[in-house]
Amino acid sequence: MMLDLMLDEPWTLSPPVALRPEPFGALAYHFGNRKLTFLKRPELVTVVRSLAGHVDVRSALTDAGIPDAQHPAYLEALRGLAATDMIRPRHQGSREPTR
Amino acid sequence: MNTTNPTQTATTDESNHTDTVTETLVAEDLIEEVSIDGMCGVY
Repeated sequence: MMLDLMLDEPWTLSPPVALRPEPFGALAYHFGNRKLTFLKRPELVTVVRSLAGHVDVRSALTDAGIPDAQHPAYLEALRGLAATDMIRPRHQGSREPTR
Repeated sequence: MNTTNPTQTATTDESNHTDTVTETLVAEDLIEEVSIDGMCGVY
């Protein structure tokens, strides 16, 4: 299942994406495809920002304090972000993970 | 904008009483795509 595969893969915020902090979370704007997405939870913003520093999505979710029961919803949201290239798979060696 | 669906679960036994609030999330609670096509003429 794609969601499960994503959980154990390294991902990162796409380079052409800017995150603007908002009271509800953040606005994500992609300068390439001009897509705009609301990230409606600060916890999701934390996860998205920290993806590049983790070996996989699972550890990013765990470090952000996301309960296991909410992982499926977060993965679905991340898959939605991936569909518009807000986040993308990180190739091994592109950046050293912190853990 | 918050459309979460909190679910409250109460667990009671003779020696311990625990109330646990579990927040049930769906992806729509976390992200929302916004179309900006056609907005160039707004401003």
